[in-house]
Amino acid sequence: MKRSELLSRIFITVAVLGAVGAPLFVWARTPLIHAKVAEDGGWNPDVIQANAGEPLFLKLTSDDVVHGFAVGQMDMQSVDVLPGKVSNVTLTFDKPGIYTFFCTRWCGLNHWRMRGTIEVSGSPSDHEPALSEAAEPLYVTLGLDIDAPHDALVIPRSQPSAISGQQLAANLPIDLSTDYYRAYSPYQVFDELPNTSLTESQSWDVVAYIWQSNTTNESLSDGQQLYAQNCAACHGENGAGNGVFADDLAASGESSMQTMAGADQMTMQTPVDFTDPTRMLGASPALLQGKILRGGMGTGMPMWGSIFTEEQIWDLIAYLYSFQFDYHRGEAQ
Amino acid sequence: MELTRLPFLKSALKSRYSQLAVFIVMLVGYIFVILAGLIGTPVGSHNFSIVFVWIAWWAILILVAVPFFGRGWCAVCPIPLPGEWLQRGAVLNPPDKKPRWLNLRWPKFLRNIWLQNISFLLLALFSSVLLTTPNITGIVLAAMLFAAIGLSMIFERRAFCRYLCPVGGFIGLYSQTAPIELRIKDKQVCVVCDGKPCYNGASTVGLDVQRLNPPLSANSNTGYGCPWDVFPGGLTKNTYCGLCMECIRTCPHDNIAINLRPFSADLAKPSTRLDEAFKAFIMLGSAMIYAGVLLGPWGAFKDAAYNVGTSAWFIYATIFLAIIFAILPGFFWLMISLTSRPFAKHPFGAPIGRGVGVRKFASLTTALIPLGLMFWVAFSLSFVLTNATYILASLSDPLGLGWNLFGTANAVWQPMLTSILAPAQTLALVGGLIWSARTAQKAANEVKVSSVPVVIYCFITTLVMLGLLL
Amino acid sequence: MAFAPFPVRPIAPQERTFRIEAGQFAYSSSEIKVNPGDTVNIQLVSTDVVHGLYVDGYDISIEADPGQTKTLSFVADKPGSFRFRCNVTCGAMHPFMIGKLSVGKKVWFYRSIGLSIIAIIGFLKFPRRPVLITAH
Repeated sequence: MKRSELLSRIFITVAVLGAVGAPLFVWARTPLIHAKVAEDGGWNPDVIQANAGEPLFLKLTSDDVVHGFAVGQMDMQSVDVLPGKVSNVTLTFDKPGIYTFFCTRWCGLNHWRMRGTIEVSGSPSDHEPALSEAAEPLYVTLGLDIDAPHDALVIPRSQPSAISGQQLAANLPIDLSTDYYRAYSPYQVFDELPNTSLTESQSWDVVAYIWQSNTTNESLSDGQQLYAQNCAACHGENGAGNGVFADDLAASGESSMQTMAGADQMTMQTPVDFTDPTRMLGASPALLQGKILRGGMGTGMPMWGSIFTEEQIWDLIAYLYSFQFDYHRGEAQ
Repeated sequence: MELTRLPFLKSALKSRYSQLAVFIVMLVGYIFVILAGLIGTPVGSHNFSIVFVWIAWWAILILVAVPFFGRGWCAVCPIPLPGEWLQRGAVLNPPDKKPRWLNLRWPKFLRNIWLQNISFLLLALFSSVLLTTPNITGIVLAAMLFAAIGLSMIFERRAFCRYLCPVGGFIGLYSQTAPIELRIKDKQVCVVCDGKPCYNGASTVGLDVQRLNPPLSANSNTGYGCPWDVFPGGLTKNTYCGLCMECIRTCPHDNIAINLRPFSADLAKPSTRLDEAFKAFIMLGSAMIYAGVLLGPWGAFKDAAYNVGTSAWFIYATIFLAIIFAILPGFFWLMISLTSRPFAKHPFGAPIGRGVGVRKFASLTTALIPLGLMFWVAFSLSFVLTNATYILASLSDPLGLGWNLFGTANAVWQPMLTSILAPAQTLALVGGLIWSARTAQKAANEVKVSSVPVVIYCFITTLVMLGLLL
Repeated sequence: MAFAPFPVRPIAPQERTFRIEAGQFAYSSSEIKVNPGDTVNIQLVSTDVVHGLYVDGYDISIEADPGQTKTLSFVADKPGSFRFRCNVTCGAMHPFMIGKLSVGKKVWFYRSIGLSIIAIIGFLKFPRRPVLITAH
């Protein structure tokens, strides 16, 4: 064979082998975490190992729609995980334990199920409790049955005003402490108000004032943002339980959820309407915290215990009551 | 005007080295595209294979290569190469010992483009999935490559390219509109040529070199016979010549040239073949269907087209095929048979009946060739200009692994030149209408009927396309 | 004809609001019509994943997560027919998630029809006579 032919053949062979080998080689050496909607498997891999104190480098990509990434119980800005693109995240964990990472941008009905865990090993430092030894939630301490009905027996005729309540409460012996506020529902507080000459509507205004005293502007705005990003898709942008997924939740029934035995009352419900005074005013902050932490046990309500910090949950709860109480009417503009 | 008179061009086209260099680049690119489809990100808009096949390559093909270079893409396409190298036993000049593959003649009853019509339709019916799913594109491209290799081991020449390739079917049909052609210079030279090496191949093996007529000159290359199974001496149309330049190398009389010529010169000699006629309807119909389904605002059609296997998709597929095989040709036939009138004074006196035979039908569909081409140009302009910026991102990160080779990985999606899109589509479609009307007149003259029904047909289909796109 | 100014009956501009739900892979109101000069507010409600809405020709866009409706406001000062499309990758058929906005009359469509009619009339009135030929 002529030399030109031989050289050409060698060249072609090398080029073709390179064209096959080089991409395979670099692809195999790039470990990526793939995000897919929960119906297609969610995060892959969904368990990551790490060591306390050492930085963890993650490369994330989405295989379908826009997702996001954040680690629960950590103060971190969520990172968008975009289709076809790679996001780089560096995490450092001080304490060992099992952390939950989750999707932060709504990607379908089962968005909240897109979760995974990071198992951080290492020895726990002496002065701080390891992650798994969190304090017991308030509803457990109080012995509340958060699945029992909690309808308020009396509801206000119009939205109570906290400003009016503040004026009315000037001389009343009311408890504005956080512990009191968290442990009792607005209806219970209404019912327990000392016998005075206040009308029903005025009493509700006082309750609204008590609630406002336990709420700051910052907690309201943080709560509002948490609500918009995590709750509005099901519970509605105006809290009325009519979010974009509400119909799908009602229709999907039991097929996508485990149901507990004897769960007739627990089967798929439409998302709670926070503008409904009967249910909301009969719920204490502790009860709401319990629902949020534990989830709805077959109703489609996610459990947020591993995701939100305690402070975030109280902020969210503060915002939820703002659907019932008017904190601003009568304010000097 | 003969382009091969330019010495630089002639030697570049005849050189096997320059051609091989192009081939290697294309083959490596093709293999990379297959791999990117199989292992890269499943997100179509960010995967090199989807972006480079269905946006970049398609744009170059339908906007530049076909209208201006006819079968120019076939000249550089990498699909037949591995099979052909194996079949020939060499990558450059013919070897001393020819390898003994089966080299069967392609069966006579398949010597038409019906298989290509079917393969194109198969891709078209699954196009929503094909255009958006990288691993499907990768698999289809790999299948074409292996089919070409397999066919080269069984049959002679480039059987895949000539008889199976879905792209080749319409490139061939539309190449008749192009302004370049490969033709012989002097017919008499071919008449006296012994052995016809342009078709049969030329090597000195087994030849009595002393008795060759004309004698082997110092300039004659050895070469292979036309891989497209075309006799260059008889070429009058571009349809089946793949511009591989082999005959130019092989001809001992330097009697083959590449010429510049007016657009659509080939359409003055209308083909009377039914397979080509239906290819014209397939292309016309699929352009209109895509314009409606893919670029229209009707989500239900898109769901039907994408969800292959559902009953909605079967309905979609049935309607698709009905439009192409029944509605469009039926309406055409109706137009020309209801209104076909012979000219008042036939030159030879005999009146022509009102019936329409297959030959007349097929000849008149020639008018649909420039029409279909411009329909595809108008349709392609829309999605190419809208999505061309994906090319920048996928150049820098072809596999979706987080690279940034050229700094453009984060290029934002941004439709380009949208203000000129509507005028450009108007120009293409109205221009196509005028072009096809002229073609209709020429074709109608050939078969001695009035061109009015065909012109009106072109007008109506153009209105539909205008309504779908604008 | 191609660039002749279009005869337009002036209509007093209004403010119009459209609530458009976006789901894979279509918009609930996929064809909307306004008059030139109208102030248009498009409320984009994503119903499954993050979607966007980009208007061809106006080069403006917005994106919305499910649960967070966003509004795109603009003055429809350019007449014609414009496609709006999703500009956030939302799944396989994302490049074909399209709707149409008509501002006044579909200018280029009518122009192109006019040009086509002129072309056809030209052909029908002046057909090429067959040339007597003896051999090709």
